[in-house]
Formats: sequence, C-alpha cells, structure tokens
Amino acid sequence: MDIIYFEELFFTLSFIIYIIASIGFFIYLASSKEKIGKFALTVSLVGFIVHTAAMVLRVIESGRLPFSNQFEFANSFTWGIVLCYLAIHFIYKFTAVGAFVMPLAFLMMGYASMLPKTIKPLMPALQSRWLSIHVGTAIISYGSFAVAAGLSVMYLIYEKRKGQGNKKSHLPDAEICDYLSYRVTAFGYLMLTLVIVTGAIWAKRAWSRYWGWDPKETWSLITWIIYSTYLHLRFNRGWKGKTAAWFSVIGFICVIFTFVGVNVLLAGLHSYR
Amino acid sequence: MIKLGEVNMIKRIGRFLISFRFAIVLFIAIATYSIIGTVIPQGVSPQFYMERYQTFGNIMMILQFNKVYSSLIYRILLLLFLINLTGCTLNLLPSQLKRTKDSYFPSPRRDSENLWAKGQDIGAFRQGLVKRNFKIYDTETGFKAAKNRLGVLGPAITHLGIIVIILGSFLGNLFAYEGFVNLMPGETKTFAEEGFSIQLEDFYLGFRDDGSTEQYYSDLKLIEDGSQVDFKKIWVNNPLDYKGLSIYQSSFGWVSNFKIKDAEGRELDEGILKNNEQHFYQPKHLTIYLYGFYPDFSIDQMGQPMTASHQLKHPHYAVVLYEFGNYIDSYITEPGQAIIYEDIEITFEDSFLYTGLIYRKDFGYYFVLIGVFFLFLGLLLSFYFYPRFLLVEEESILPITRQNIWGYTLQIKKLLQTNDELKKEEV
Repeated sequence: MDIIYFEELFFTLSFIIYIIASIGFFIYLASSKEKIGKFALTVSLVGFIVHTAAMVLRVIESGRLPFSNQFEFANSFTWGIVLCYLAIHFIYKFTAVGAFVMPLAFLMMGYASMLPKTIKPLMPALQSRWLSIHVGTAIISYGSFAVAAGLSVMYLIYEKRKGQGNKKSHLPDAEICDYLSYRVTAFGYLMLTLVIVTGAIWAKRAWSRYWGWDPKETWSLITWIIYSTYLHLRFNRGWKGKTAAWFSVIGFICVIFTFVGVNVLLAGLHSYR
Repeated sequence: MIKLGEVNMIKRIGRFLISFRFAIVLFIAIATYSIIGTVIPQGVSPQFYMERYQTFGNIMMILQFNKVYSSLIYRILLLLFLINLTGCTLNLLPSQLKRTKDSYFPSPRRDSENLWAKGQDIGAFRQGLVKRNFKIYDTETGFKAAKNRLGVLGPAITHLGIIVIILGSFLGNLFAYEGFVNLMPGETKTFAEEGFSIQLEDFYLGFRDDGSTEQYYSDLKLIEDGSQVDFKKIWVNNPLDYKGLSIYQSSFGWVSNFKIKDAEGRELDEGILKNNEQHFYQPKHLTIYLYGFYPDFSIDQMGQPMTASHQLKHPHYAVVLYEFGNYIDSYITEPGQAIIYEDIEITFEDSFLYTGLIYRKDFGYYFVLIGVFFLFLGLLLSFYFYPRFLLVEEESILPITRQNIWGYTLQIKKLLQTNDELKKEEV
C-alpha cells in the first residue's frame, strides 16, 4: 500500500462524508431537530479531518503544497470552503448555514474528482515562493465568498418563508444572516485584494509585467469590482437585505466563473491542467 | 458672458460626475467592457472580425472591441472613474477629518440597541473599555467612549491607493520600454541608455529524472565599459535587475549547423539555421528550409514530426528543399547524414541552444506598490478598525457605529457579560 492509495481513499471518503453532511443539514432544516443538526456538524468535522489527511498525504507524496493544477486547486478550494464554514460555525454558532455551504463543498469536490489527479512536478513558471501565498489566499478568499453566498441564499429563503407566515423554522435570525454575510464578504474581499496583488508582484518576476489582461487576471478584477459595488451599496445606500443578498450570489457566480469558466472557456496563461 | 443657466448646468454636471450614482454606473461599465475583452479575441487583424462577426464586425471595430484595454473608450472610462473617485473622496474628506477630532461625537442611531440591564457593574465596564483602548469622556449623566477615530479615513485612504495605482501604472506604461532578444552563446546585447551590455555565456535546460524540464538557465556576463562587472545566472522567476532594467528568461530554441559539399567532399557553403529559417544557395538556386530540429524525435498522431522531450536523445532534422521556389522534396535526417541533391550533399549537425530574453524597464511598478500599501491600510481601517462610539447614561448603554453595528454590539455585549460573570464568581 503506498501513499497514493490512501490519498485517493481519503479523498473519496471525505467526498461521501460531505454528501452525508449535506443531506443531514437538509433534514435538520426540514425537521428542526437539534440532534440532527449536531450530527450533521459532527459529520462535516469528520469529513474535514479525513479531507485534511488526504491533502497532507498528497503534500508528502509530491513534496510541495497542492497548488499546481486544476484538480489540486479545486480540492484545496473545497477544503477552504469547509474550513471557512467550520470557522464561522465555531465563532458564531450557526449550525444551519451548513445546509447552504456543504452542498457547495461537495459540488466543488465532485468537479475535482472529474479532473486528472496525477502528481506532476511544478513547471518552471510555478516554481516560486509566491505560489503558496497567491493560491493560499485565493483558497481562503473563495471559501469566504462561498460561505457569504450560502448565508445570502439562507437570508433569501428566510425572507420568502416570512412572507408565507411559516413560524416553524430553524433558520437563525435573517438580520444576522445579512450582517454576517456582509462581514464574511468583507474578509473575502480583503483576501481577494491580496490574491490580485500577490499575483501582480509574482507576474512581474515571472512574466516581466505586473498586469497583462490575461483572462484570469481580468476576471478576478471583474469579481473585485462586483464585490466593491456590493460593499459601496452597503455603506452608502444602506442596501441591506434582498439586493445585497442577490449581489453576494452574483459575486460568487463570478468567483466560480473566474475559477472554472476561465480555464474551460478562455485560453490564457492561467490554464493549468 | 456665461449665462446663469449655463453656470447651473455646469454645476449640475460637475455634481453628477462626482456622485455616488455615477460611481456605480462606472463600476458596471468598466466591468462590462472588461468582460467583452475576455470573450472577443484581442489584437487580431480587422479582417478577422469582419469575417467572424459579419455586419457586427464594423460596429465592433468602431467600439474598439479588438483592443479593449488600450482603447480610447476604456481610457475615457478610467479617466471618468479617476475624476469621480477623486471628487467623491475630496467631497467627503472635510467631514471625515472633523470626525477624527475629540470634539465630534455622533448621536445614537436607529440601529443602536440599548444594552442596559439591571445590576450591571458600570464601573467595571468602564475599566474594561479603557483596557480595550477606548477613550472615555465624562458627561453630566454618565460617560461617552470612543475608539478608532482614525478609522473613518479608511475609505479615503483606500481610494488614494487606487488613484495612485491607476495613475502610476498609466504613467509607467507611457515611459516603459520593453523588448525581446534572442542570444546564442557568445552573443552580446547592448543597452545603450543604461550603459551596459549582457553577453550570453551559456544557456542550458535542467532536467528531472523523469525527463521533464525542470528549469531554463541563462548564464549572463554583465559588461560595462568593456570589462565584466558581474555574472548572473537567470531562470524563470529569477530575473536580472540592473540599473532599473530587468531581464527575464522567456523562451529558447535550437540553432543547427549545416554544410554543403560537392561529390569530392569539398566544402562549398556553410551556415547556421534556427527552426523555420531558410538558406538560399545561389549556384543551384536552391532554398534549404529547416522545418525543425527534434532533439528527441518522434511522430505524433497526425503523422507530423515532434519531439518527445527537450533532451538530446534521438536527434533528427526535418528539411525541405525548393528550387526556384518549387518544391523538390522533404527529408528526415540524422546528424551528419547527407541529403543528396544532384551533385551536392547537404548535412545538418551540431545543434545547440539559444535563449530568448525579455527586457523591461517600468517605474510604474513602484507606484503600484505604494498604491497597494495605501489600499491595504485603507481596507484594514474600513473593515477592522472602524470608529466605535458608546454612550452611557442612566439606564442606557448605546453602541454607535456606522460600519458594523451588529458585530460591534456583539463585542460590547460580550464585554458586559464577562463583567457579570466575574461579579458572580466573586459573589
């Protein structure tokens, strides 16, 4: 039995565990039973530990951080989403958010599972200490935006239910969802700024220019502009609630497009396979 | 004479240019225009757009969709954005500066929740606030507290950063110059303006055990006033920086030696060719075209020659001959293997590597770094060091902030709770 075997085993296991956690969270929302919520949370935590083990094994096998091709990005992105969710849970005690974040995690992992998993040595352009900080901040930033989008969807559903007069609901206070979504977005925005800046500094060293309108660069800028708009509308217009929630969802769609769509549809320097 | 109506009109336009509404319009316009640039191929010939997009091709050319990011429209959008951003920021700055002073204290807002409850130890709470760097101001009926007053400048500093980045990169690009040079070992490139030259001593590839390329290395001698002043090995991600100029490892290729001999073995002509280069041999009106040199020769699925790796394992040449521009034949040969045409022999051998270097000088980068510093400082102030105020009176504790009332209220609640818990423990 070699390391790769266990890495793949743990990867598959955590994938299955994340699906179970997602289902658990949905049942929790529907049934309103505290126990099921706790169960789903515990399952997520176990999944995260197994997933982390898979990542560590990959790091041991490849001798570097798992940041070098689309599979490794997607895998790390999933890990970042779950990490951000668990962080939010332990800071703010929000169990129900899991129902909206864990499905994103297992979808991202499903995408990862369809990509070639081979461990290849780093190509010359990626051999830089900027790689870990650039991709590392991207994972945290994308993870935060995923959680923020989950919170916003939760808010939108809550608002809809309120209209129907459904009292029996396990969703936490809508206003808190709204505020928390904003705070998490602000953090993700700060991280996204770091991603773009570290990318620019790195590009200066590797490709001679700090900005070259590569599709990935442009789309990260577009995402940044969308979240800038969101933050300005919140500050200046007090656009809370529905409009802000929709902006947060659109922003996350942009994040996903920047991450997946650009690689699939647009050719550029960032199309690592 | 300018009429009063015109003055009003100008004022109104001015106000609109620096308005928040216009900022949002610009955000959306810049984002949309940027998207177009990622969807439509950039910098291709006008015919391409005509053929591909038919009637729309004309409109696209007028709107400069073929070079979105350097187009006039994009520059105008950025200029308007700069005006708007500067205007917005300066417009708000006086009132923001006022708010940094001790004399300013906001009145409670609608979202201020009264956290007062019976039995709270206000004295301990006050001490807790002092410990958390709140500044306390006594009033007749209680006290006021304030923290992070400078945080109100966060947005202005963020905007300053963005202005510096845009202006710096624009000016930098105006004066920047860059170029590309191919050097074979021994060749020199002189940078007259900077007053130095580089000479390529050697270029080579580093390989891993599996045969894949690990890195590309150029050994460069730095020559100033005819003598070597330094030596530097550069590779991808490790450029040479000298006198404001940066030199980057960018590409590489093969150069091949060829010889033309007659039937008796006398040398008639010789030279070097890079891939896809040709040599014209006058006496026979013969064009020798080197289609490619393949260090690790193989055939791909389409039947085309290719190289399996960059290692010199199985070298072959693909050569095409033309006479008066008419195709004669194509050949795959090994090094030293002769191509016989009438009474002459053509051989290729001793291929070696040359390097491709990019050089660039751009002071705009340093402005961008300064701008980035302000950008981060501003964002941190805005998100995490925003101003917090507290109004404590009889039967009322009111947290006041414009930024994050929910999070701030939570912090104050926690502070009150820990005090209560401490008190209980003492009891």
